[in-house]
Amino acid sequence: MNWFFVLLSLMVFPGGLFLLAGGMAYEWVDRKMLAVFQNRAGPRWFQPLADTVKLLIKEEIIPDKVNEILFIGLPIAALAGGLTAALYVPVAGLTPVYSFPGDLIVTLYLLSLLTLCMGLAGANTLDRFSLIGATRTLTQVFSYEAPFLLAMLGPALVAGSWQISDINAYAGGHWLILTQPVGFIVAVIGFMGKLVMPPFDAPEAHTEIGAGALTEYSGRGLAFFHLAKAVELIVGLSLVSAFYLGGLANPLEFLVKTLALLFVLIGLQSLLTRMRIDQTVGMWWRYGTLVVLAQWLVIILVMRP
Amino acid sequence: MNTKQEPQRFVIPIGPQHPALKEPGNFQFTVDGEIVTKAIVRLGYAHRGIEKAAEERTWIQDLYLIERVCGICSHIHALAYCLAVEQLAHVEAPPRAQAIRVLVAELERIHSHFLWMGVSGHEAGFDTFFMYSWRDRERVMNILEKLTGNRVNYSANVLGGVKFDLDQEQIASIRGGIDFLEERTRHYLDVVATDFMFLQRTRGIGVMSRAQAEIMGAVGPTARASNVARDVRKDAPYAAYKEYPVDIILDERGDLEARFEVRLKELFESFHLIRKILDTLPGGELTARMPRKVPAGEAVMRVEAPRGELLYFIRSNGSDKPERLKIRTPTICNLTSVVKLAIGHQLADVPMILAGIDPCFSCNDRSVQIRTSNDPDGRMLSWDELRQHGIDFYKRLEK
Amino acid sequence: MNSEEIITVATGVVKSWDWATETSRPLPKQLDVKVKLIKELVPIIVGLRVKRLGYLAAITGIDLGPEVGEMDVLYQFCPGDVVITLRVRVPRQEAMLPSLCEIIPSAEVFERELQEMFGIQMLGLHTTEHLYLPDDWPDGVYPMRKDFDPQILSH
Repeated sequence: MNWFFVLLSLMVFPGGLFLLAGGMAYEWVDRKMLAVFQNRAGPRWFQPLADTVKLLIKEEIIPDKVNEILFIGLPIAALAGGLTAALYVPVAGLTPVYSFPGDLIVTLYLLSLLTLCMGLAGANTLDRFSLIGATRTLTQVFSYEAPFLLAMLGPALVAGSWQISDINAYAGGHWLILTQPVGFIVAVIGFMGKLVMPPFDAPEAHTEIGAGALTEYSGRGLAFFHLAKAVELIVGLSLVSAFYLGGLANPLEFLVKTLALLFVLIGLQSLLTRMRIDQTVGMWWRYGTLVVLAQWLVIILVMRP
Repeated sequence: MNTKQEPQRFVIPIGPQHPALKEPGNFQFTVDGEIVTKAIVRLGYAHRGIEKAAEERTWIQDLYLIERVCGICSHIHALAYCLAVEQLAHVEAPPRAQAIRVLVAELERIHSHFLWMGVSGHEAGFDTFFMYSWRDRERVMNILEKLTGNRVNYSANVLGGVKFDLDQEQIASIRGGIDFLEERTRHYLDVVATDFMFLQRTRGIGVMSRAQAEIMGAVGPTARASNVARDVRKDAPYAAYKEYPVDIILDERGDLEARFEVRLKELFESFHLIRKILDTLPGGELTARMPRKVPAGEAVMRVEAPRGELLYFIRSNGSDKPERLKIRTPTICNLTSVVKLAIGHQLADVPMILAGIDPCFSCNDRSVQIRTSNDPDGRMLSWDELRQHGIDFYKRLEK
Repeated sequence: MNSEEIITVATGVVKSWDWATETSRPLPKQLDVKVKLIKELVPIIVGLRVKRLGYLAAITGIDLGPEVGEMDVLYQFCPGDVVITLRVRVPRQEAMLPSLCEIIPSAEVFERELQEMFGIQMLGLHTTEHLYLPDDWPDGVYPMRKDFDPQILSH
């Protein structure tokens, strides 16, 4: 019967369907609240689902002169990356399904898969907007990824373990946002960059380059990318709040903490103007990385017995 | 094999259909990485041959045609036309009519500047700013609707005067609206002048020096942000601007920030002017008698549209139709500057620079070529054919 | 400068070419200069620009019809509240005018408009591409001429 539960945990709960539903719900909260902040009506609750269903039943147009395997494969890889990452993260405040020492690194890499796939998908097509979008996406990866990684490793350092469940348990007793505020800020902003949220939406700035890297995508591919993004939203929120906001021990805690964090993100999204790509890179490498490294130094000095 | 490697040119097309442009125009930007190295402009996607069409219509019919040159600044086009024809016919509209013309022109300016503000905020990726300014723009559009019955094509002018009068209730609602908008404008001015993230996108971007502005013939707020004191309301007052003078708002920085500030500060001038007009609205008639045929002659009329100087040239041959009607819109003057300024900037700044002059393409493009689905080659329709086409179309619908 | 001064200065400039020009003032704030020799047009405009009166507001073409066989081109300069109009007359057949782009860059759009709408060849203008008209517009058809017949476009 063991394989049955494995399949269940992969396909239905806490992986698979549950993640997709949760991701769409969070996406709706994001869109709705952003609309409220901007004095708009915003979408109805089932809009993300309706969008996904519409895209899934739409014809997928494969443009000329692209590598078809890549064109079809990349969205699947992106979604698979997000779903796999969720297995190691205490989504919904439950113990992760799988856990091994060092799974934090694996999770962070799996989360980067989405952006990488989007960049490659853009570079794969010949559209001018896609190419510019791909360049910007990949540039952005290289700018936020290192500081974000360093910020996520801060809690690992104090918890003395690189296993997510251990860090979560450790964070349950220590609100790391108080002891490592810099790390928290960098993690939140890095996460926004990861999800290409405003003000880091230069890779898909539609007033300049249409839909950016995904301009040529329609139908299934686009739906998968959207779903991957929704999944990544929920996984990333769980990860950041597990590490910095006092751990996630039960579903209620999960709901309260992740939504609170999401509200912060929504506030930032509605308040800030889009940054140019050179400004994004400049900000991360000139300030972001340095402050995180400084914090690391402090942690190491303080922790030294 | 060609051994000599040509440097690859990467051309980013913006338009005719592009999210950054609300109207059709085509710009081709050659980019090197993110830096723009060359810019080409192509217009005419909204060319309707209005100048030619105006030669085929009577003076009165033309008024309705002219009002449809542009959706945003319909009043100022009609005003320029009326003033030019009145000049030719040696008729002067009564003072009350002139004051109402200016009142509507200033309300239109407020509406246009709010619209522009939102669009530019959107180009910068600051959607909250866009949503809020467009929400507030509704207020001035409601005022205009209450006043004229229309939100966009106000149709306030007739040859020799205006169509409607103001009553006390309307005056009160205008005052209320102006108070509200003034407070909001103060807030927006604060945002564009102090918001750190927004300033990153506007300060020092698209700088046009005074000498450049003069040589490129920039007009309106774009020129004034580069310290060129050019405002027709001040230089050559028309309608009631002699009685209700305005101050020119100048800025010497010449960048996008200056363009934002100049336009927003101009709004305060407009609010002030509107209050003054409402306080001292002259009484009397609304229209003067206008002959059907206009004496032969030529007239040049310049007015200050929200986007800058608008020039009308009319030649009459003494019949009931104009011999030639020329419209020179402000955008055509300012477009030269976009093409020149974009070079050397980042691609991300280009939509902002483009929006910075407040382009209006339907103003610019003025033949009717209709492509119907059953006639892929496209054909030209005469006015009667077009009319018949419309009638047939609706008859078909009724069946 | 007030309007009277502007007109005095402009009249002074034009006076140097009085063998080629004819000046009149139809309205107090308008100066009308008929330029009889086209080759003198550019020097006069340079003269106006030197005196800082060179804000070119528009270039207007007017077809006088096939009976007259000529076209008017009006260069309208608007310094302050004065309108200075330079008029030249060109034949409808093989109309040619010098381009002002070297002196006034903003003249380019007006000249391209004249070129495609009236068929006046602009000497020195680097492009003959359409600005307003569609790419498939037939050659030699100029829509703003009086004898333009829309039927020519229906195949």
